[in-house]
Amino acid sequence: MSPGFIHVEGLQVSYDGDRLAVAGIDMDVGEGDFVAVLGPSGCGKSTLLQVLSGLLKPVAGKATIAGTDVTRNGGGADRDPRVGYVFQDHRLLPWRTVAQNIELVLAAARVPRDEWDARIERLLAMLQISQFKDSWPMRLSGGQRQRVSIARALAIDPAVVLMDEPFSTLDEVTGRLLRQQLVELWQQQRRAIVFVTHSIREAIFLADRIVILTKGPARVLETLQVPIERPRQYEDPAITELESEIVDRVMSAWGYEQDAGHVKTPPVGSS
Amino acid sequence: MESASLPTQDLGRRRRATSVLTSDVVLGALGILSFAALWWYGHQKTTFVPSFGEVLDAVPSFLTEEAIWPDIFASTTRVVGALALACVVGFLAALLMARGRFWGLVTARYVDLALGLPSTIAALLALFIFKRSEVGVFVVVAIATFPFIALTLRQGFLSANKQLDDMADVYRFRPLMRVRNVFLPHLVPYSLAAIRNEYAHAWRVVVLAELFAVNSGIGWRFAQAFDRFQLVEVALWLLTFMVVLLGSEYLILRPVEKWALRWRGDA
Amino acid sequence: MSTSAATLPSARRLVSPELVRRALALVTAVLLALAAWQLGTWISDGWIPSLGAIWTDIVAALGSGETWSDMAITSKRILIAFFASTAIGIVIGFAMGLSRIAEGYFRPLIVMGLAIPDPVYVIVAILVLGTEESSGIIALTLALVPFVVTIVHSAVRARERQLDEMSRVYRLSRGRYLTEVIGRQIAPALLAAARTSFAFAWKIVVLVEALSQPTGIGSAIYEAFRLLDAAEMIALALIFIVVMRVVDAVVFGALERRLLAWSR
Repeated sequence: MSPGFIHVEGLQVSYDGDRLAVAGIDMDVGEGDFVAVLGPSGCGKSTLLQVLSGLLKPVAGKATIAGTDVTRNGGGADRDPRVGYVFQDHRLLPWRTVAQNIELVLAAARVPRDEWDARIERLLAMLQISQFKDSWPMRLSGGQRQRVSIARALAIDPAVVLMDEPFSTLDEVTGRLLRQQLVELWQQQRRAIVFVTHSIREAIFLADRIVILTKGPARVLETLQVPIERPRQYEDPAITELESEIVDRVMSAWGYEQDAGHVKTPPVGSS
Repeated sequence: MESASLPTQDLGRRRRATSVLTSDVVLGALGILSFAALWWYGHQKTTFVPSFGEVLDAVPSFLTEEAIWPDIFASTTRVVGALALACVVGFLAALLMARGRFWGLVTARYVDLALGLPSTIAALLALFIFKRSEVGVFVVVAIATFPFIALTLRQGFLSANKQLDDMADVYRFRPLMRVRNVFLPHLVPYSLAAIRNEYAHAWRVVVLAELFAVNSGIGWRFAQAFDRFQLVEVALWLLTFMVVLLGSEYLILRPVEKWALRWRGDA
Repeated sequence: MSTSAATLPSARRLVSPELVRRALALVTAVLLALAAWQLGTWISDGWIPSLGAIWTDIVAALGSGETWSDMAITSKRILIAFFASTAIGIVIGFAMGLSRIAEGYFRPLIVMGLAIPDPVYVIVAILVLGTEESSGIIALTLALVPFVVTIVHSAVRARERQLDEMSRVYRLSRGRYLTEVIGRQIAPALLAAARTSFAFAWKIVVLVEALSQPTGIGSAIYEAFRLLDAAEMIALALIFIVVMRVVDAVVFGALERRLLAWSR
């Protein structure tokens, strides 16, 4: 397979110099692909995103976005590919309004000032939060804050959007709404999205392809295409079926034993 | 906070709506009246304690007396100036204590020293060194207040928000942008708390310093009244002091604090 | 840093690198300060007393019985004011924390009390009560009470309400509730309040004595000042401060360790 838009090869990452968080990941993401990275808690999947965004340096392997090596502090903000990042906990500056939060990343990405207003208006409208343009983040609900976070990520016209379990802290209904909105946005704009999650159903609903990781230290367990046609329904039986298949396959890999339908939890001390 | 399940143990706490008698205003007034009663008792028992009426009568002529305003002004400038100085020194000290490994420890020793220095001794020393100049007062007040500011700001530095730092990294914020938008705003709540506390503290120390070290200001007026055994004057200047302090605190400091923290929602 | 403990042999290290660094920092701080002071002496042409002069006076004062009897007198005043203000402050603070009525009643008085400069307490006490020993101590106590009250009040208010409910359900007696449930929770704050009270007490007593008393370390310091004997003034001040801080560290340090062992 030819190197993709996002290309990760033999990536190994360590937090403290001793133990590996990521023990070797290979991954390719095409230019408009929606790829989900699926793994159990603590397996190092967020670490992958941190490397891609330049937050962490790997101890081995390489990672490039659009040909540029992201593990090196290259030519600075001008040469680095623009990366939009949606954190699990929104990470909006609480002392700046919604619009100001977006303006800050626009300024950092050297987007010309005269484009700012138009971009902000457009994105807030897309995410249906135009009325919060001048609000303080603390006054918004969790779902609204995440939408702002997504708007912020998209505002800089990124090459890639990295999303780290962005909906896991939201309630069921809000989560579903946002998943739907995300898919629609993606279909309009066709950016590469790498979406980390621990929810199998979410991964199937959203992505073209799922990269399944092992328990930590992470390796790729398998990669599979999601054959279900869009638009997908969250309750679709086809999704449920695929979900069970995946559950069966990852059970033992993630350290659970299955015994006549009862799940035995892994012994204390692992993961 | 309030539990919906069991009625909380009620050791005298009653719901406000039920009784006018227990409203805060009435109770507070009762408290003050108790003090007034004590005062009245003192007036009855001795010959030199003035009655409340005497003091009140003296207020109009006191207020129209031209000469009081320069003293009020002098004290105010000293408070503001010394506090500003204390903020600068406190900020630097806090930065050192939070970030500098060796020099941070050295600085901590000086902060400790300043914390443990009685203001009276500092005032006498300053009076000796600087004779009767303004500098002495500034130094005394600054030394008294900067350690608290330093300690509070140090907390602020140490509690730096890694998550927001990561976000700034990912979006490639430039250093100046980080300082203005992430680092400094994070310190604001700490700074405001430190300033609010030390503002009152500075006023108290200014009076003490002026008592010993200069010939102007509210402290000096207290010294004068004391020397002349003028309880009425002492009372008048005490009232003035409290009005200026509490007035500026509630009319200026607190609203500013509220405005600066308006992004907090209802936290 | 983190590897040092792991790589050391099992023999116990008596002096950790951290301790060395702190000691070195203390020494540096002292030396720098002394150097700066000597510079001051030099700049002011001897107006600021030299380190040597101060040291001579320190030694003389330490050897003189008068210094120690002054210290005893001052300490007695400090202790009286400390115990009185801590006791009164705890009672009022508790009351305010547990009862809305008490809170409303005392609030304005405490706010005003916090806003009154220490010298004014002394001045008023003297003008009203005369120059006896007791007026100074009363002034000192009154100046300290608002601070103690504030600390205790906010600690009591910040208590866990759920434990209140639990006490109700299990029908704990009033006494039990106060000591076991509330007492334990706010013990750290009570200790902090006491410590604060002591710290303020020994600082403010100097003012009290300077303004009104003929005996005690504070008045000795003030006398030295009036005689323009800065070296003596500084010498006495240093002795006083060091003694007080040692007492604070030893007494309250030990108390803190013992009383708060359960919370570590």
